Amino acid sequence: MKLTIDRTTVEAQPGQTILQVARAHGIYIPTLCYHEKTGAASKCRVCAVVVEGMRGLQLACSVPAKDGMVIHTDTAEARDTQRLVVNLLLSTGTHDCLACEKNGVCELQDAAYHLGIMKPAFVIDSGRGEERPDDSSAFIVRDHARCIACGRCVVSCSKNVINRVLDFGYRGSETRVICDDDRPMGDSSCVQCGECVQLCPVGALVEKKAIGKARTWELSKVRTTCPYCGVGCQLDLHVKGEQIVKVTGVEEGLPNRGYLCVKGRFGYDFPYAEDRLKTPLIKENGAFRPASWDEALDLVASKFKDIIAQSGPDAVAGVSCARSINEDSYQMQKLFRAVFRTNNIDHCART
Amino acid sequence: MILAPELRAQIEEIAGRYPDRRSALLPALHLAQRSLGGCVQADGVAEVASILGLPLAAAFGVQSYYTMFNRQPIGRYHLQLDVNVPAMLAGADALLAHLEQVLGIRAGQTTPDGLFTLSTVQDLGSCGTCPVLQVNDRYYENLTPARADELLTHLRRGQMPDWQPEAAWGSSCNILLRRRGNPKARELAEYRKTGGYQALEKALGMTPEALVAEVKAAALRGRGGAGFPAGMKWGFLPKEGNRPVYMICNADEGEPGTFKDRQIMEFDPHLLLEGLTIAGLAVGSRLGFIYIRGEFAWIAEILERAAEQARQAKLLGNDILGRGKEFEVLVHLGAGAYVCGEETALIESLEGKRGCPRVKPPFPASAGLYGCPTIVNNVETLACVPTIVQHGAEAFKKLGTPNNHGPKIFGISGHVKRPGTYEHPLGTSLDALLAEAGGVQGKLKAIIVGGLSVPILTAAEAAGLKMDYDSCLKAGTMLGSGGVIVMNETTSIPAVALRAMEFYAHESCGQCAPCSRGSHTVLALLRRLVAGRGSQADIEAVLHLCKRIKGSTLCPTGDAFSVPIEAMVRKFRPEFEALVR
Repeated sequence: MKLTIDRTTVEAQPGQTILQVARAHGIYIPTLCYHEKTGAASKCRVCAVVVEGMRGLQLACSVPAKDGMVIHTDTAEARDTQRLVVNLLLSTGTHDCLACEKNGVCELQDAAYHLGIMKPAFVIDSGRGEERPDDSSAFIVRDHARCIACGRCVVSCSKNVINRVLDFGYRGSETRVICDDDRPMGDSSCVQCGECVQLCPVGALVEKKAIGKARTWELSKVRTTCPYCGVGCQLDLHVKGEQIVKVTGVEEGLPNRGYLCVKGRFGYDFPYAEDRLKTPLIKENGAFRPASWDEALDLVASKFKDIIAQSGPDAVAGVSCARSINEDSYQMQKLFRAVFRTNNIDHCART
Repeated sequence: MILAPELRAQIEEIAGRYPDRRSALLPALHLAQRSLGGCVQADGVAEVASILGLPLAAAFGVQSYYTMFNRQPIGRYHLQLDVNVPAMLAGADALLAHLEQVLGIRAGQTTPDGLFTLSTVQDLGSCGTCPVLQVNDRYYENLTPARADELLTHLRRGQMPDWQPEAAWGSSCNILLRRRGNPKARELAEYRKTGGYQALEKALGMTPEALVAEVKAAALRGRGGAGFPAGMKWGFLPKEGNRPVYMICNADEGEPGTFKDRQIMEFDPHLLLEGLTIAGLAVGSRLGFIYIRGEFAWIAEILERAAEQARQAKLLGNDILGRGKEFEVLVHLGAGAYVCGEETALIESLEGKRGCPRVKPPFPASAGLYGCPTIVNNVETLACVPTIVQHGAEAFKKLGTPNNHGPKIFGISGHVKRPGTYEHPLGTSLDALLAEAGGVQGKLKAIIVGGLSVPILTAAEAAGLKMDYDSCLKAGTMLGSGGVIVMNETTSIPAVALRAMEFYAHESCGQCAPCSRGSHTVLALLRRLVAGRGSQADIEAVLHLCKRIKGSTLCPTGDAFSVPIEAMVRKFRPEFEALVR
């Protein structure tokens, strides 16, 4: 089916909302609470558009696209409402972008930019700026003053990840996202999976270890497979020079669709560990000494041969690491079965 | 364990009454608070959450949403003074100053001896008997500083006196307030002696379709405020399907100026039960709820007692009057949240959640309570049902004006000599109502005719107004709940606007940005203006915000403040300008 958005005719698929159609065609409609993983919440009210033949403004995130629909995102009325919401959010929170980790990838900043808002329209004392950010947890910093209460983190925590740590507490303009019974995140039952950080549209939830490490535009993304377990989660390393600054899950990638666990998201320090092994070590007289790969492999091969010659092939066994890729694990079992002639082969993820 | 085994068992028992255990969260928090001396702290919330199988964050999110739940220790007597607009007009500010002086504390504080905690609250639903002080769960109305002193003396002796309010009332219809003056009418025997439950008996002999048709024919418009035809609402239920249908009575009246439903529930509880039961039969529901605001705890007890009497007399239960029809009623107490008067927020609250309105569609008739077809009707609407069934739609339509039929309770508060509740046909003139309420004290300056959320009228605009839905709309305002707030020439409209905004900013549920952030911003601007620190730009900003917020929020609460505040600024602009120097 076809519909018209701001005088451009575009193709739409059945079941798509106006917003989804617009995004599929690169048409920007300001949106703050919608995320495809958490669905339409109709809470920020910033995606207000005019749909010909429908009374009042409509929310692009919630209205299903219909054949022949004519939509305007840029009428004076729609723009006024879009600006109103962004202005209110800017006026009632602390949105100082200068040292914010999200500067450059902030959806509120994007909306303000597209709507030409240079500074908040309403000058009031919001009372939100005095509270210190919550940096009590290992990997996540929460800043209520930057929160726009979009609810993505609450929905993802309670309905998608089902950790059920986050919810909304209090009410009205004092509404805030709470951990358990409103305790610091570090004292809560949060397991630091970081999905909330990944979905936060603003700087209210950021990766602690990344703070001050890089401006967003200095980062390049390197897609890789998580090295920890056999699930094979797809992740993006955000790299500045040779340094990993942070890790995010690949939203469009299987098997994890952006979800990660605490290890995959935050356990990226080991490449830089000073005490990591850089060469094989051979133990002689009770102490390790560095060796070359050739020397180490020759030693292992000769020991295997000796053991098999003396005690038969079933005297050896192999355990393949579950972090290995399938091809390596295949080679490993081939080595034991076809070369060593034993079935003593397993891997560490068996329970 | 901090909760006693008996209490845990009681919570379990309550959880078993509901189709979903989570619905017991508000009742459980009420019970825990009462047994733990007035507040439930972290350990108590955690235990309640674990009994009901809820995440801690969900339980705390609910506890911190509702104002009646205390999370910190409070004094033995919690003095809660209503300070919103009708109370303000009746002198609540002076009473607050007096209480602060006598107790030696400010609002929000507790006396050093732990005896009194003083709080200000936004509307207690007794606008005709202001100033009103809620002490723990009891109301003390028509207070003066001298009466307050007397009350404090009693409380210091450990006594909670039983003072009845002096509330004025009147009725020319004798339908809704028919038994208002009869103290025995709460008893089933008296109710039946005066014609009660005859309509139910008649309804038992009618088909659901015939009942819906009768109410449709009567063109009964919803008395909660919107004026939507009740019969039409019932007709929206899906015709087929095997999901249970729920019938909910909205008894959460809490908009400043509105204190009508209380008159029915408190003085004629069986009238509501009869109406609710007939409505339940009409829509094919076997379980009904009365969701009543938490502050009306004693009225909830009256309703529960009446329901128990009805159960004993087989007027409720699984075989009503031996006719094989089934209907049961649960009285469910809210916990302090105006927005729960919005039907989808009410449903959320009844499900044990934060009282945040849902996105519509779907409407409750297709997916309401527990996702099932649900009808929500106001107390006064349901109380009209027995007369419609008993005497027929035609008799009902003889009252009122075209398209605005039947009796209406008008609550009159503010600057009149006899504030109170008066039942008259829709279309009765405002002048007649004011005359019945003893006339305006001083010279009429402005009037709000439908509860705080409707546009204010100047004295000139109000002259000759007929009090029905269509006439009010034509006059640029709304009949709303029929809560009439009268203001004389001593009233400062900017002060009224500020007080109104304090109410809405306090009551905004907080989920959508234009309402939560907008109400907060308009409040901040009005505060600045009233304090004399504002500018012309602030007045413009208030008008701009109101204009844009209208129609842009998730539920009608955005309109509920933006429309009346805009009208106050527009119609009384010189008063706002005078504040700008």
